[in-house]
Amino acid sequence: MDELQGTDLPDIDFTLEYPYTRTTGPIIGPFLTGLRDGHILGTRVGDRVICPPVEYNPADGSTVGPENLVEVGPAGSVEGWTWVATPTSKHPFTRPFAFAQIKLDGADTTMLHAVDAGSIDNMSTGMRVVARFEHGLGADRLGTVVDIHFVPGEDPPSAPEIDPEAEPVGITEHLIGVRIQEPLQPHRQRFLRGLMEKKIIGQRSPADGKVHVPSRGYDAINRVPMTEADDVVVANRGTVTSFTEITPIQYHGQTETEPYIRCSVLLDGADSTIGGVDIRDIPVSEFNVGLRLEIVWQDEIDFSDPDNRGYGLTEDVYERWVRTGEPDVDPELVKEHNF
Amino acid sequence: MATDRDPNDIAIVGVAQTVAHERFDGPEVVLIMECVNKLLSDANIERSDVGFTIAGSCDYLSGMPFAFVSNVDGMGAWPPVYESHVEMDGAWGLFEAWLRLQMGDIDVAMVVGSGKSSPCDAREVFHLQADPYVVAPLGLDPDAMAGIQARALINAGKATEADIAAVVARSRAAAASNPHAQISGTVTGDELLAEPYDMAPLRAHDVSIKADGAAALLIARRDRALELTDNPVWITGIDHRIESHHAGLRDLTDSVSTRLAAAGVGLADGPIDIAELHVTHAHEELILRDALGLTAATSVNPSGGPLVGDPVMATGLTRIIEVARRIAAGEATRGVGHAASGAALQQNLLCLMEGGA
Repeated sequence: MDELQGTDLPDIDFTLEYPYTRTTGPIIGPFLTGLRDGHILGTRVGDRVICPPVEYNPADGSTVGPENLVEVGPAGSVEGWTWVATPTSKHPFTRPFAFAQIKLDGADTTMLHAVDAGSIDNMSTGMRVVARFEHGLGADRLGTVVDIHFVPGEDPPSAPEIDPEAEPVGITEHLIGVRIQEPLQPHRQRFLRGLMEKKIIGQRSPADGKVHVPSRGYDAINRVPMTEADDVVVANRGTVTSFTEITPIQYHGQTETEPYIRCSVLLDGADSTIGGVDIRDIPVSEFNVGLRLEIVWQDEIDFSDPDNRGYGLTEDVYERWVRTGEPDVDPELVKEHNF
Repeated sequence: MATDRDPNDIAIVGVAQTVAHERFDGPEVVLIMECVNKLLSDANIERSDVGFTIAGSCDYLSGMPFAFVSNVDGMGAWPPVYESHVEMDGAWGLFEAWLRLQMGDIDVAMVVGSGKSSPCDAREVFHLQADPYVVAPLGLDPDAMAGIQARALINAGKATEADIAAVVARSRAAAASNPHAQISGTVTGDELLAEPYDMAPLRAHDVSIKADGAAALLIARRDRALELTDNPVWITGIDHRIESHHAGLRDLTDSVSTRLAAAGVGLADGPIDIAELHVTHAHEELILRDALGLTAATSVNPSGGPLVGDPVMATGLTRIIEVARRIAAGEATRGVGHAASGAALQQNLLCLMEGGA
């Protein structure tokens, strides 16, 4: 493995991101519709006007219906604020800006929102700010709370362009994501470097001698962390311990059309199986538990997008698995490993 | 051993924590495993003696859906046991474990809090705790919310920037005797005030240093606790209160939920020797001291608190551990551990503890 020591496996860097959609209900729906169409709504609850509006009385939880919606703003006073010197990728501005508690004219409570003030020197408690019906980054206005932002002053906002065909905002979408950056964990680095040299590296538990492949860096049964001293090389051939024939059903995005086999293989020298091994060229009629298989490696093994999660050997590594021609192993001998 | 305790009383009988790693390169499971192995070994009990395990963690931090399931490997998945998880700090796991032991059918529970926050920017995760319609899309993160809260405190005349700096200076000095801390040392308030603002009026040093780490403790019902240790730390009260997620409906200069929790646990029924507070932004200590009615007689965050090392999702549980450890060692008689969640101290949990058989 020495010649590969210098191989730079890239750090992990990915963004896990999903659009979340939420129905808006009888109060938030009109509120977000209003932001899109150029007015800001609060709800009258007892003798107070609360903005952003609530659909319940905060004092007792009783329902506050849409008949209590009242227009507030578009100007108001800053009651509290902070200056965001280093915005995150989730903020509505990429340049420094203020988050503020804004008491809109006609409201009795404050709303949290962003003020594009240019400089901290332009911010003060009590200052006047006014809405702009524009996304801070100039993005499309999609019926969310970031369809507006605030600027210092009192100048009335220009009305947004209203699409007369547009439906009220019944659903609001929020793209939620987190960027993950980290090095490969040490045991993963050694495992992947081994594969680049066409060697499969497992770890032998110092507690019970069982060999884990691929290892997660610990022995879960005995609660023992494992280190490089526990690394062992296992064979690139082994025995089928279980399998299933997958008949593709057609759905959007499905690329498979023909039945294929997924199996688990117990590599010689290992005590845990490699799962999800993909078999394309052995007929199911000739496939059985106990069958001996070996890896046909890819010519060039390159991990452009490695991760810390991998449970098995993937198509990044092998071309296919083929029969070794050895006699079958008695299935009784591998029944402990059939998952 | 003779005792006046009720059979349903629950005591902490063992604690453990990892150091607050700036970045732990191995799996989160190994962090937990090292912590749990030390916990069980120090308490001289086997994993098979534990009837219930619960963990607090947050999958978003490591970007690994169902990371909390793998984490069970670190606690010992074998033999099978009643198991639970909260997507909260481990302190909330303690609350559930404490409730679980009230049923009386099992007598030992293990609680773990763990987090590997180094792969992400926690600011880009925890804004998701806010209202999903009117706040979260703004990306209004807890640090920005803390800046707003700190200004509210200053505007109300309840604190100055110098008061906030003094919290940082004192925390760092206290950390000198904390082997788990990430940062410690002598720094003056003036030096701190000379630093630039980050979330004005807060500065970067007013915000906790996020860390990778784990913490764990064992609790037991009375009879088992007395078998397991000569120094049980009794949980005499545990209470958790939540304020509105609409900051505009709260008085940010006070912690009403902490006051309610303090009344719930009977905090004022006796002297408090020690309080460990979940202060991830320096000004929060001032709000919490006031809400808890603490005087100079109480040692606050003698570990240095989260400002010197914040193993996210284990930080609140660590507060309870820091108090329990000192009570078990005879350094204190009665103390309170505090855990917070949400922006600007929205949720607060108190765990009141005392020593003696």
